[in-house]
Amino acid sequence: MTVFKNYIKSLFLLELLKGLRLTGRYFFAKKFTVQYPEERAPMSPRFRGLHAQRRYDNGEERCIACKLCEATCPALAITIDVEAREDGSRRTSRYDIDLFKCIFCGFCQESCPVDAIVETRVYEYAFEKRGENIMTKDKLLAVGDEHESQISADIAAQAKYR
Amino acid sequence: MELLDSFLPHGLATVIWIVLKIVLIVLPLMVLVAYYTLAERKVIGFMQVRIGPNRVGPNGLGQPIADALKLMFKEIILPTKANKVLFLIAPLLTLGPALAAWAVFPFDAELVLADVNAGLLYILALTSVGVYGVIIAGWASNSKYALLGAVRSAAQIVSYEIAMGFAIVGVLVAAGSLNLGDIVRAQDGSLFHWFWLPLFPLLVIYFISGVAETNRAPFDVAEGESEIVAGFHVEYSGMTFAVFFLGEYANMILISALTALMFLGGWLSPFQGTFLEPVFAWVPGLVWLFLKTAIFAFLFLWFRATFPRYRYDQIMRLGWKVFIPITIVWIMVVGLAVVLELPWWFD
Amino acid sequence: MTFELFLFYVFSAALLYAATMVITQRNSVHSALFLVLAFCCAAGVWLLAEAEFLAIVLILVYVGAVMVLFLFVVMMLDVDQASDRAGYMKYAPVGVLIAVVLAIELMLVVGPGNFGLDKFASPIPHAADYSNTKELGRVLYTVYMYPFELAAVILLVAIIAAIGLTLRKRPQTRYQDPAKQVQVKAADRVRIVKMATEKKWS
Repeated sequence: MTVFKNYIKSLFLLELLKGLRLTGRYFFAKKFTVQYPEERAPMSPRFRGLHAQRRYDNGEERCIACKLCEATCPALAITIDVEAREDGSRRTSRYDIDLFKCIFCGFCQESCPVDAIVETRVYEYAFEKRGENIMTKDKLLAVGDEHESQISADIAAQAKYR
Repeated sequence: MELLDSFLPHGLATVIWIVLKIVLIVLPLMVLVAYYTLAERKVIGFMQVRIGPNRVGPNGLGQPIADALKLMFKEIILPTKANKVLFLIAPLLTLGPALAAWAVFPFDAELVLADVNAGLLYILALTSVGVYGVIIAGWASNSKYALLGAVRSAAQIVSYEIAMGFAIVGVLVAAGSLNLGDIVRAQDGSLFHWFWLPLFPLLVIYFISGVAETNRAPFDVAEGESEIVAGFHVEYSGMTFAVFFLGEYANMILISALTALMFLGGWLSPFQGTFLEPVFAWVPGLVWLFLKTAIFAFLFLWFRATFPRYRYDQIMRLGWKVFIPITIVWIMVVGLAVVLELPWWFD
Repeated sequence: MTFELFLFYVFSAALLYAATMVITQRNSVHSALFLVLAFCCAAGVWLLAEAEFLAIVLILVYVGAVMVLFLFVVMMLDVDQASDRAGYMKYAPVGVLIAVVLAIELMLVVGPGNFGLDKFASPIPHAADYSNTKELGRVLYTVYMYPFELAAVILLVAIIAAIGLTLRKRPQTRYQDPAKQVQVKAADRVRIVKMATEKKWS
């Protein structure tokens, strides 16, 4: 009997019609597409985008070249050279992040004792030439200067969870 | 026509007049094909809770034109060991029959390029010739994926052609003519005089076979992206690919239009025989035909958005073991009905 | 020269060219495709002779189905051309002899003695609404009913014989039966058990 019933079912394409009904219903469903350049999806303060280096309020760079980020980086994307500056403080002479290697895990930010290296909310960037994928110290600082208000606000919002 | 005849030699005027008519059919068809691709992306998008292309022009209406321009300016790559001549002829062999079939298609009671007696056979023959584009493309590309796609498609098209042919036999038994115009006239009367009701199994089989014949989802094993990359047209790029694309969509529109013609009464008004008939009398038959075609064209897209691809042996089973027996049975039913002059379809 | 005559010469010339290419081409796929062209040209000639049903059926059956299967096989074959030409000179005399005999036979049968213009009244052109198909059907199912049915039975026997020759049981091959597969329902494969959660999440 069940065999007969199944046979009738397949002859009248019942299950296919069920499938068509489902897609037919979704045809009229509300669409959730975010119209990207005009509309943006909401973003968490924990978003991990392009890297930046921060400065103190007096303009002094935060990074003390402790190399914790270099050590913790799972993708070996960070390269740091250290020199003593004229005033005797320990500073980086080179701080490169290779964005091709970087996996945006945020460990560098977690490990940084002075909140110098951070990942910002910036995600719209592109490279046109070979070599542009290396974020040098100057570029990192420039990103930091540009987005400092956003960065500090995000860090303040997250402070109690750290 | 008379105007042309007055200052041209007799035969030449006829030729020019026919060429003009061909252009009048092919140009709107090409526009229709272009916008059908947009409709496909929109409809499938909507069914997947997306909104589809909407960037080029208002609501994405410029998208087909942008696509066409892009394809025109792309490089046509000839594989080194490909058979050059056949490689370039293959796309034309797909598009050619798809366009040539419209020659006998009646758009309205008087609106037909060539009113031939064996119109239905002519269309059946041309749809079966369309397979050559696929086979030659697959072989000339000198690529194993292309060859596999071609082989799959050839076997599939040849199998489904039989079911399709039988479905058409049912229609011609019911209509008593091979002339497409006469087939429509045989359905004259009302919505319930159309052949979709007495020939419903044949309608279903004809349309599904049509989907298989055009290599569309869920019968698109000839392309089978996940198994054989893109099947027969892996090696094609730029304009040669575009011609394949045009051929495929022109075929889809052709199948939709034929289904509308044979089972939904072509250019006949759906309000015939009701009190609404005079109200809609001003609507030209071409509009009704277009609307009916649109139903089936939409079904093509709906199927693609709904069904997963068939496995190859299942396709063959469906064609040979399910469709052909059902059509044979129904042809006998129709034959009996015609002989007994069963009202009100076959009187 | 009328337009019809012009068309006739075009189709005939193309037909002869294609037919010659079928037997002279080295590549078997090319040969098969030229055969397709030959069929199409022949269909054109038949159309001019008011045999539109036969012309279309020629395209439908031979071009649309038979040649597709031909191509199917030819494309799959990897023809070794060197070994093909190995015994060429040895068999050439026999081949030429057969060809000559065939040609003479054909000439005797289809020569002007039997098929000359004076043997046949020139056909009367039919009106535009004359249906060749209907006439053919009428003759086929009345006058020639018996031979027609016989031909059908012979074809059926051929089909059964072909299937019988190729159908053999291969116990080591594993294959799926789609007919059984489509009968399977979710309930046959999965049992959904309703049960209470064992422990409350704390």
